[in-house]
Amino acid sequence: MFDLQLDHVSKRYLIQYSSHSRSPRWPEFTSLYKKPKEMWALRDVSFEVAEGESFGIVGHNGAGKTTILKLLSRISAPTSGEIRIRGRLSALVEVSSGFHPELTGRENIFLNGSMLGMSRSEIARKVESIVEFASVQEFIDVPVKRYSSGMYVRLGFSIAAHLDPDILLLDEVLAVGDIVFQAKCLDLINQLRAAGRTIVLISHDVGAIQRLCDRAMLLHHGRVITIGTPTDVIDRYQRMALDGEDGYHVERDAGQKSASCLHISFAAADQEEPVRTGYPMFARLRFRASEVLENVVFNVLIYWPSGYVCAQLTTALADPLLRIEPGSGEVEFCCPVLEIQPGLYRVDISIESNGNCIDRQQRCALLRVDPGKVVFGDFYIDAVWRIHG
Amino acid sequence: MEPLPPAGTDGSESLKVRDRSSAAKERHSARAIAPSLVDREHPLLGSRIAVPRSVSVIRPPSFSLRTIVSGMTTLFGYRDLLCTLTFFRLAIRYKQSLLGWIWAALQPLSLMIIYTFIFSRVARVTSEGIPYPLFVFSGLLPWIFFASAVSNAINGLIHYPALLTKMYFPREIIPLSYVLAALVDFAIACVILTGLMMYYRVPLSWNALYALPIVATLSAFTVAISMFLSSIQVRFRDVGVGLPLLLQVGVFAAPVVYPLSAVPSRFQRLYLLNPVASLIENFRRVVLHGSGPDVGVLITSGSISLCCLVLAYGYFKATEATMADMI
Repeated sequence: MFDLQLDHVSKRYLIQYSSHSRSPRWPEFTSLYKKPKEMWALRDVSFEVAEGESFGIVGHNGAGKTTILKLLSRISAPTSGEIRIRGRLSALVEVSSGFHPELTGRENIFLNGSMLGMSRSEIARKVESIVEFASVQEFIDVPVKRYSSGMYVRLGFSIAAHLDPDILLLDEVLAVGDIVFQAKCLDLINQLRAAGRTIVLISHDVGAIQRLCDRAMLLHHGRVITIGTPTDVIDRYQRMALDGEDGYHVERDAGQKSASCLHISFAAADQEEPVRTGYPMFARLRFRASEVLENVVFNVLIYWPSGYVCAQLTTALADPLLRIEPGSGEVEFCCPVLEIQPGLYRVDISIESNGNCIDRQQRCALLRVDPGKVVFGDFYIDAVWRIHG
Repeated sequence: MEPLPPAGTDGSESLKVRDRSSAAKERHSARAIAPSLVDREHPLLGSRIAVPRSVSVIRPPSFSLRTIVSGMTTLFGYRDLLCTLTFFRLAIRYKQSLLGWIWAALQPLSLMIIYTFIFSRVARVTSEGIPYPLFVFSGLLPWIFFASAVSNAINGLIHYPALLTKMYFPREIIPLSYVLAALVDFAIACVILTGLMMYYRVPLSWNALYALPIVATLSAFTVAISMFLSSIQVRFRDVGVGLPLLLQVGVFAAPVVYPLSAVPSRFQRLYLLNPVASLIENFRRVVLHGSGPDVGVLITSGSISLCCLVLAYGYFKATEATMADMI
């Protein structure tokens, strides 16, 4: 039994451009007479989500993820095709944007709750729980214009969380609130999954898709590329990201610097094999120097998709520090056990000498890690075990 | 493990316990078969009533009878929102103001004084034997209702773009809530009208009850205009700029400050095709003169209003789906 069905859905946006030709000091009369340009945000998208299933949608910026969310939550309508929804659907979006600043927290709960489709009696029943979940007990009868931004967002999220929908849409909403609140939200999502609710998760974060979803779909420029298990879809997504980006040659302004990074590559022990969690990895950094450099440090910084630093390979611990001669060379880092989880990582490389940065290439390469030894968590910790007694 | 029956009770207690646990088991297995019909308990969300889910279909927007019917069904489901929103509109309007609700009465009263001065003292307009202040006040009430509802409603949708781009509810609720709020103001002003009638010793007859269908028709027409214009306003902001001007002139296209008899009789039929004009004239007739309404004229304006309402609602629903893209 499907809960959600998209049948050849397309969405076209008409975009009104202002002309660039005239000087900005003379604003044009109006741009409304110009013929708008067409932009297809979705092209012939069909998929089904079964009841109780968690379905993930991945894709790059502009792939059409947000458009799907807007169509499903009825904010916008498709240009062609049909969408069938069984039961109550709600999206955990920025509900607080519907708050009226002059109304108190309690009044806003009633206003926004009914905007989301709850009846008055239903809200009256849940209001205490909403207030408690958002932890705004003392301020509930104060106009929300006096709220801190955190309280504002928490209250909004809390209302949406109490909707108790049959189908829940999530669009990278977990970025709201502090850590305690985020934990509450994740807990809620897990409870909803356990209760058999259908979930559609839209995210860049392949880790979240892998953890939370039963099936996933890859979108690219508004078209469905593939639908399948999260592992397959993420694999395809990452391979698409790698296309044309694998290995990055840096040849620009090599002459002006005393040294520069040329190339970084990652490989498993066997050249034919992909890099896998829990197995050896070799990182080779090629460089060129135009003079003798003392106290040299090579760094390879590895970033999560979210942009945070995940790990570093460095020669900073060498004693004495390295010394390089003019000409080109290669540093090889050998990791006996690769501890990071499968995923696609961005990489920075840099050369320092005497504490000064000589050359730095930011986000210049991709490191793709394939599933190897499967564990939960962010890292694989290599361990041996022994049983006593 | 089945709990043992406590000593001193007969078997019924343990039977109950067993019943409950087997019911839980049944529920568990039923969940696998037809989960949507099972009462699912959730610690945070509370228990929910098992209702078969209905399938809703989202199609490209179109101007059709089906759109209108399904729109009305959805609107009915959101009736609580309409009430809440109207209530808060009224509550917010006079928040942080010293005079508060007195403003609802002060607005028509001040206009009454100004118009009385201009049209009765300076221009000497006749008023069918009724004291001019009362005459103009009875015309101003429905006019202010119409004008303030429309001018507030058209800006309602564009006032909070986040509402349109972040969440869905039937958009017509926003213009509707402004019309309803204006209707409440109208009711308050009607109390003052009754006070004025007592002051000027103008008797109130049973015919005044005809005001109810008259006001209902006027409301229908006001809703139609509000929905039509607010939908256009989302696309072309010209409406918001041009409307105040139009309304300032519009007051003279209805028998507000002058009696219907001042209109040359050969233009009267054309003049009364405007529902606002004919409804104001009939409102004054049944309330102040205590005579019956002009049924023929009422039926005409009723049909015009109804047609406008259906067309405007259809248009609104057809354009609603792309409002979030256009705003």
